[in-house]
Amino acid sequence: MAQNITVSHSPHIYKRHSTQSVMLDVIIALVPAMVAAVIFFRTKAIILTLVCVASCCLTEWLCNLARKKPNSLGDLSAVITGLILAFSIPPTLPYWAAIIGSVFAIAIGKMVFGGLGANIFNPAMAGRCFLTACFGTMMTTWTVPATFDANMPLIGTVSEVPAAITQATPLALIKEVIKNKSTEQDENIAAIKGILKNMFIGSTGGCLGETSTLALLLGGGYLLIRKTISWIIPVAVLGSAFICAFIAFELDPHHYVAPWIHLAGGGLLICAFFIATDPVTAPLTKKGMWIFGAGVGALTMLIRLVGEYPEGVMFAVLLMNSVTPLIDRFTKLTPAGGKPNA
Amino acid sequence: MLSQHIGAICKPVVNKRDHIAAGQLIGNAEAFVSAPVHSPVNGTVKDIALQSHPVLGRAEAIIIESDEDNPPKQPCPDKFSTDFDPSRFLPEQIFDAVRKAGIVGMGGAGFPTSVKIKLNPESPINTIIINGCECEPFITCDYRIMLEWTVQILTGVSLIGRALNCGNIYIAVEDNKPDAVAAFEQAIRKMPSASSMKVVAVKTKYPQGGERQLIKSIINKDVPTGGIPPMINVLVANVATAAAIAEAVLLDNPLTHRVVTVSGGGIKNPGNFYAPIGTSASHLIELAGGLNDNAVKIILGGPMMGFSIADLSTPLTKTGGAITVLTDKDIVKRKETPCIRCGRCVEACPVNLNPTRIAHAVKHNLLDAAQEYYMSACIECGCCSYICPADIELSGFIKTGKILVARQKKLMPK
Ligand code: SF4
Ligand code: SF4
Repeated sequence: MAQNITVSHSPHIYKRHSTQSVMLDVIIALVPAMVAAVIFFRTKAIILTLVCVASCCLTEWLCNLARKKPNSLGDLSAVITGLILAFSIPPTLPYWAAIIGSVFAIAIGKMVFGGLGANIFNPAMAGRCFLTACFGTMMTTWTVPATFDANMPLIGTVSEVPAAITQATPLALIKEVIKNKSTEQDENIAAIKGILKNMFIGSTGGCLGETSTLALLLGGGYLLIRKTISWIIPVAVLGSAFICAFIAFELDPHHYVAPWIHLAGGGLLICAFFIATDPVTAPLTKKGMWIFGAGVGALTMLIRLVGEYPEGVMFAVLLMNSVTPLIDRFTKLTPAGGKPNA
Repeated sequence: MLSQHIGAICKPVVNKRDHIAAGQLIGNAEAFVSAPVHSPVNGTVKDIALQSHPVLGRAEAIIIESDEDNPPKQPCPDKFSTDFDPSRFLPEQIFDAVRKAGIVGMGGAGFPTSVKIKLNPESPINTIIINGCECEPFITCDYRIMLEWTVQILTGVSLIGRALNCGNIYIAVEDNKPDAVAAFEQAIRKMPSASSMKVVAVKTKYPQGGERQLIKSIINKDVPTGGIPPMINVLVANVATAAAIAEAVLLDNPLTHRVVTVSGGGIKNPGNFYAPIGTSASHLIELAGGLNDNAVKIILGGPMMGFSIADLSTPLTKTGGAITVLTDKDIVKRKETPCIRCGRCVEACPVNLNPTRIAHAVKHNLLDAAQEYYMSACIECGCCSYICPADIELSGFIKTGKILVARQKKLMPK
């Protein structure tokens, strides 16, 4: 019986997963959205995505080198940041701007805090925020997806041409339709219905990966089935957004957009499933997750309904990120048997 | 082993080279919270010395060389019948017999049973839960005795009920063992003295066999943090303990043998064995056909909370229900990476703690902060370490933290 015997403390068995496999799940779940993006925005989508992912990874690698820390690319979180950033920028964005956004996302959004797990803000949202602040116009110029007009040349080849066809995002579009009181009521509804259908499939203007509701639902469903993310945050985000939109719509249907359109549009879904659920920047406890999700949903709607930005997701997430430590503190758990000697 | 339970350590009452008989008292203690130790075999006292102990590291033990022609003790479930009437015994008689037999909680903690079944008029027990849930994956010893010793267990249970004058008795069995539930139900129908017992199938999930978790599942009450079940008038006893009580009271047999599960991928012929307490781990492994070539870790107990041992002469104790041998395939190389705050550990914790907070506080030597997050309430089940995708040894840190706090308290008396 002379064998090598290992001795360590319990437990002696572990669930076979790792940070890497969790992140890989998220990447897999983003595939449908990626496919949709490629279908609608063609080569431009592929290149933009690759640019973002590559520059995110490179930045992380360089940061680790500079901090003399071991390479952390293996946890795949930089890839996700790159993907989500790419999915939340408009397809017309020049590559150099995408690179700047990626570098900012990783270097300032994550690495200065100490790398994965220590960052306060969702890195991809930080990068996007930076881009919005620097290149506001570029970030709100939307292209009609390539499938809209068969005669139109591929977006990838025309995007640098000043005459690129642009279109407002569905949210803005619908706002227009509603404002335009001269339109017949029926026509109005028909127009909205058409837009809604396009939104579901994804052939509307918008950011790369945000446009296809169907693809995002597929990915989100995958994450939920695999239990990679908790169902609480998506439900809380969508639920609270729906309630806010519903109230507004009931109060004044001529001025506000129907709630499902809000849910399906402008990145609320990608936010609910992929951005707000980023474990690092969301609270730890269940109660905390409810508060966090509800906050994101409500703030998004507040910004959309009252404020200037039609796509309030980014600011909502960043704001809630910043109060996550507070939420964690307020939702401190009590042990099952109550407080000791209390 | 003179320390196989919680409480005062026994003093040896035999000397070197004494010849002793099976069942003879070899270690005793006067303290209330303690349990005597008996020899499982006929033999000669070879030595009284320090010996590897699964929990304490080393402890004083009486080493007995068994006689060549030792008749092996047989289990005796057939000595019990369904027409048993517990009122033949007075509560004090039951208490004395249990105390004398050295019975301790055989599910793991090893609290002297006599203390638990002592009638306390100030805080009477009004619910008795008999724990038939295996405490950990891999272990099946309780399952076997539930099937094979059903009547003996029920006899013991009715004695506990008699001792505590309590008729509200639940027998908890995991729902993946319907045959054990059926066996109990059948036996209860035939046994008048067991008619008030209720068999409950509880969800099969680790750590269902923990007292707190069991009480929660069955009567939906929480044991106060830092408290024990009697504080909410509940008593939990393991099925093996109940069987031992029956043997002690009716047959006057001290607790000298128990059923052990020897299992895991590293064992050639895994199985359950009725073994003398004190048998060395190596002997038990031999009984089970020996180790496979790929065995890398030998654990006294189960894979979640057991203690891995290096010294195979470590003996079986009254509480040791299992030896689990893991193979290189079971063992995952783990490399700690940063916490991604995913909340999985929080969700996994059966006592609703925040393991990552506590573990990180301990890591940075912030013991006060760790206690603020109720470190002391941790039951050390290991669920958090099991689930953590970042491979952080959360429960390891928490255990370390508890030890550090205990040490601090010793250094700075109030
Ligand atoms: S070991 Fe971990 S999961 Fe188990 S009680 Fe302690 S903190 Fe909770
Ligand atoms: S399971 Fe691990 S990675 Fe997740 S929150 Fe707990 S300690 Fe952090």
